[in-house]
Parts: sequence; C-alpha cells; structure tokens
Amino acid sequence: MGKTIVIDPITRLEGHGKINIFLNDEGNVAKAVFQVPELRGFEQFCKGRLAEEVARITTRICGV
Amino acid sequence: MAKPKVAFYWCASCGGCEEAIVDLAENILPVVEAVDIVLWPVALDFKRKDIEAMKDGEIAVSFINGAIRSEEQEEMVKLLRRKSQIVIAFGSCAYLGGIPGLANLFTRQEILDTVYFDAPSVVNPNKILPQLATDMGEGEVTLPELHECVKTLDQVIAVEYYIPGCAPPPDLISEALTAILEGKLPAVGSVLAPQKTLCDTCPRKDSKPEKISVSEVKRMAFTQIPDDKCFLSEGVICLGPATISGCGTRCINANMPCRGCFGPSKAVKDQGAKFLSAFASLIDSEDEEEIKKITDSVIDPAGLFYMFSLPSSLKAKFFEREV
Repeated sequence: MGKTIVIDPITRLEGHGKINIFLNDEGNVAKAVFQVPELRGFEQFCKGRLAEEVARITTRICGV
Repeated sequence: MAKPKVAFYWCASCGGCEEAIVDLAENILPVVEAVDIVLWPVALDFKRKDIEAMKDGEIAVSFINGAIRSEEQEEMVKLLRRKSQIVIAFGSCAYLGGIPGLANLFTRQEILDTVYFDAPSVVNPNKILPQLATDMGEGEVTLPELHECVKTLDQVIAVEYYIPGCAPPPDLISEALTAILEGKLPAVGSVLAPQKTLCDTCPRKDSKPEKISVSEVKRMAFTQIPDDKCFLSEGVICLGPATISGCGTRCINANMPCRGCFGPSKAVKDQGAKFLSAFASLIDSEDEEEIKKITDSVIDPAGLFYMFSLPSSLKAKFFEREV
C-alpha cells in the first residue's frame, strides 16, 4: 500500500474542497478523490419562499 | 515587536465576506502591513495544522464568517477560539445564521433527500448519500457530519464582537480594523455598527406618514413602488423597523425592501418577533376577521421575517424537529 496525500482544505479558491491522492508502491497516482465537505441545502430551503425573494436568496450560493 | 496575528475563516458561507475584505481595495494595504495573516483559506495556503501548532491565545483576532452547519466547522471554530484573544462573528451568517439558516425550516433528512434524490436535475439510481467514511479500495475518504440544524457562531463558541451585513460594507470593516489596531474596541459583546434603525436612516423616511396603516399586504412582484416611497406605507413588507442601520441602504437604493441582514438592535433578542410586533401595530383594522384577512395576506412570514436570522431566533428551537 502506497502513500496517501491529503490536501485539506484546498486553498486559494472560493469554496470548501478536499483532495485525497492515493499513491501506489511505485509512487504513481492510483486514485484521486475530490470532495466538497459542505452542504447548505438551497435546493430545499428555497421551497416555500416567495418567487421574487429567491433572487436575493440564491445570490448567496456564491458571493464571489 | 512582532505584528499581531490575524486569522480569517469561513464556515457555511458563500465567499461574499471574503470579497468584502477584498473590497477594502487599497485600504487593505496598511492593515496587511500592520498584521500577520496566519489563516485565510480563500487567499493563503495555511492549513489547520499550522493553527494547531500555535500557542493558545497566539492569534490576536479571528474573523469568522459563515454559519455553523457541520462537525468540521464546529471543530475548526473551537480550535480558533482556543488560539485567539478576540473572535469576531463576521457577517450575517456567523452573527445571525444568515441565508444558510433558512435550512432550519427543514430537517436535515429533508434537505439530504431533496439534494441527493428528489431535485429535478439529480440522477442517483443507486440512492448514494455522502457517508462519513467511504472505502475507496486504495484507502478511506471521510466527510464531516452535517448537524441537524444550523447554528450561529455564538451558539458554538464565545464571541467578543459582531460585524453585521450580507456582506459587511467596507466602511464598517475599516472602522472595526482601525478600532482593533488602535486598541479602541467598545465593550465586549458589541455589534460594530450604528444602533439606529434602518428606518431612521432611510432615504425614503420623509415619505413615511405619521402613522402607517396597512390594509393589505402586497407582493413586491406585483406592486410598483415609486422610488421615493416608504415600502411599508405602500403595503410591502420591509424589515426596516426591526433592523439596524449601517448597510448604506443598498437594497432600498435598488428599490427593494429591507430583509434584515444587519439584524436587530442590541436590545432585541428575536428580529422576526420584533418585526411581527411592529407589523401588528400597523394593521389598519379593529375587526378580528378583517385583521385575520390582512395577516393571512402575508405569504411565508417565517421566510420573510427571519430571512437572515432564523438560527438566532427564539423560534429556532421549534424548527429543530425530532426526526
């Protein structure tokens, strides 16, 4: 079993991200996994809001 | 003398608070000169282990934005609390829960079901949900646990100061930074913004009648408001009476009513309840049935009155339903 490189958090970008890189015995990449450890649930909490308010809510998905 | 260390961190947030700091433009330069930034994921490559390696209290000030939604966020802010002399809840989400706090209208399960199974754009035939740990064959990957409900920063750790706003305007940030650098901060617990209500500073306040009477609540989408008229006097819900000023009336200037991102005055515990009480006094009727008709014309009062403050409200617990 080779080495694992974890980059957590991924920096210098907007958003939350995490990368696991699994190396094989030769030191080459066997598998790389990108994860977003963040969930706010806009898809759900926009339900029931007034349609004209949704523009002001969904602009907070990303403020950059 | 070593420069004071400053950390910026984000939790359940959109990055708009980071942008607000960038919006300081050249005013950021004397700040960067006066302090050492030791954590700022959006801009610099410091990791959690760099903070863990610090002595307790080594960081002078941590600016934390975003609401607390996951175990990782809670652990990280507890770590920053230990390492910091002053913690500032930066922006509406850290201060009041903000837009991510609207999630407290639903259970965690309802949110996961919609996001991973039911949303029209989702294709997930194997019903895969994010797991705390997943074996990838070559090794394991982990994710933090989502909390059952969204919390404000001060529901998780002690907070010295609050800078409100979605996002906080550059002038308030500049004033706060100056106060910190000059050691002229007000009493612990203060909200670093003017305590007058938004109505007091509203450019439309002269159009407000002596007594506002609401006989029908109108929707913004179906109502034309002249750009010098008080929204409430026109029957449109505006959170001005329950919100403090300092925002620069950005929404009002764009002919949109206030949704309360600056939060209530210090004396008020619950912004939505404060607005409800203000609104009730504006209803233009003594007849119970008519009053009911008027109050029933408010669509989605929870979403409107608590758009930015649900987790901070007394009612937040009612939404924290048992699953």
